[in-house]
Amino acid sequence: MADGVSVNGITARRSARTTAASSWAERHIGWLLVAPAVVLILALTIYPLIYSVWVAFVNYDFEIPGHAFVGLQNFRQVIADPIARWSLLNTAILSVACVAVEFLLGLMLALAMVKPFRGRALIMPILIVPLFISPVIVGQFWSLLLQQPYGPTNYLLSKLLGTPVQISWLTQTPWNFIAIVTADVWQWTPFMFVILLAGLTSIAPELFEAAELDGATPWETFRHVTLPLLTPIILLAITFRLLDAVKLFDVIYVMTGGGPGSSTYTASFYLYQIGFQQFHLSKATAGSWIFLILSAIIIAVLVRRLLRPEVR
Amino acid sequence: MAVARSRRGAEFRLGFGAVRFLYLALFLLFVLAPLYWVVVTSIKPTSDYLAIPPVWFPAEPTLVHYTAALFAYRGFAGLINSVIVASATTVLSALLGTLMGYSLARFNTGGSHLSFWVLSQRFLPPIAIVLPVFLLYRGWGLYDTRIGLILIYTVITLPLSVWMMYAYFRQLPKEMEEAALVDGCTRFGAFWRVALPLAGPGIVVAAVFAFIFVWTEFFFALNLTSRNAFTLPTIFRSFLGFQASQYGEASALAVTSLVPSIILGMLVQRHLVRGLTLGAVQG
Repeated sequence: MADGVSVNGITARRSARTTAASSWAERHIGWLLVAPAVVLILALTIYPLIYSVWVAFVNYDFEIPGHAFVGLQNFRQVIADPIARWSLLNTAILSVACVAVEFLLGLMLALAMVKPFRGRALIMPILIVPLFISPVIVGQFWSLLLQQPYGPTNYLLSKLLGTPVQISWLTQTPWNFIAIVTADVWQWTPFMFVILLAGLTSIAPELFEAAELDGATPWETFRHVTLPLLTPIILLAITFRLLDAVKLFDVIYVMTGGGPGSSTYTASFYLYQIGFQQFHLSKATAGSWIFLILSAIIIAVLVRRLLRPEVR
Repeated sequence: MAVARSRRGAEFRLGFGAVRFLYLALFLLFVLAPLYWVVVTSIKPTSDYLAIPPVWFPAEPTLVHYTAALFAYRGFAGLINSVIVASATTVLSALLGTLMGYSLARFNTGGSHLSFWVLSQRFLPPIAIVLPVFLLYRGWGLYDTRIGLILIYTVITLPLSVWMMYAYFRQLPKEMEEAALVDGCTRFGAFWRVALPLAGPGIVVAAVFAFIFVWTEFFFALNLTSRNAFTLPTIFRSFLGFQASQYGEASALAVTSLVPSIILGMLVQRHLVRGLTLGAVQG
């Protein structure tokens, strides 16, 4: 009998504890569901970033034991490095060039595809294929096509122009820049296209009909109806694309290897060279902090100004 | 006046129609040319590479480059690693993303600060993360392991999973969950038994996008793996400054790698805009 009581007592206590625990869980359910993701992000991005602040202020070298504090020396080295400044300029030039071309071609594609026509459903999947291919492979594609002297591009250009064309697309400036932009444009124009197409489709058709009734030409309709209504989504597409374009690395790695010399270095490629090829880890980390802060400024300006009204 | 205007408009429209189809045709050619060339290159006999004019289609197609790429260049090992890493990341990212997305959508946890903090992770420059992670991984024994790659990829794909699921749960009516709560269900029970089954399609779409991202990712795999956990895209570093004798292998490997992600991409085609903008634009 006594046993029974004590067993009941334990059960009662245990169930009281579970009730307390579950009511605590019930009250904090929101944070409990968020916790696993947040913990993982804290462990693998925020903690490494904090750790990298330390790396940037010491001399971290696999060859030299100990990590002597060197203050701002790593930062000074990067800022004084002409290749670093050149890489940053290249990043700006290449990303603006890529995004501008992609925007124009993508907008034209969206305008061409917005009205239904026979075969549209067939073309659509082909146009978006590049989005699902690894950028290294895209670089490989264009290396093959532009190869000199056996690639098909120079051969076709020779036939087309009637004179022998022997451009070393990957090793000759400015052709190597054109080659890089071409590869990037091939891959990412579909990005602009699908987003702008979604924007165009969401414009009420009555507006176009009204413009047509008023006798507006297609250009006037585009200029005064389409463009203003499309502006928020244009800004969103450009922002997303620009933030990715400044990370440009894979295509450079495969197509030019940054060369000839360091002429096609981008910021990411430069930091990769310093960190993972020359193993100046502290200098690379300091450089990546400068790059991170510059990117953060772009993000702060663009995302706040352009995305805030858009994102609900 | 109005008639003249509309006639001018009609002519304009006709000309516009012609330009439109010409442009579409040229762009299709631009998209298809590299795809055609890589497929043809992968089945050309080696003797065809150094031909002028280029060989547009080989007289004797061959599959030798595929066997060479898969076995001599360890393409098969890379393929296995890619499948394991991409699948595990997809499961983990979809799971954590669904939990967090639900919490943000239903309980507004952390307000807009938390959701934008997660979103901002998407735009961090990878080089700033990969340098310290490389150093830490060496200390933690995670360098060149699949687990290390899975963990970092999960973190990188979380903004996508979280925001896609956030957007998905918000457009899901909450009446059924409220009814379950009235019936004595716990909040977690309402999520697990009511909301989760309804969110199935959304989870699948988010998961497919995560898979494609990992499958095609190069930068982190390049710097965090070497001889053991290397994924399919990293094998392309063997072909750097590549010689004509390797065209076939490089192309065969490219074809092997791009087929699965294109097939998956076609499956989520309808949701592409949401995937690309992390749910910010409804396509």
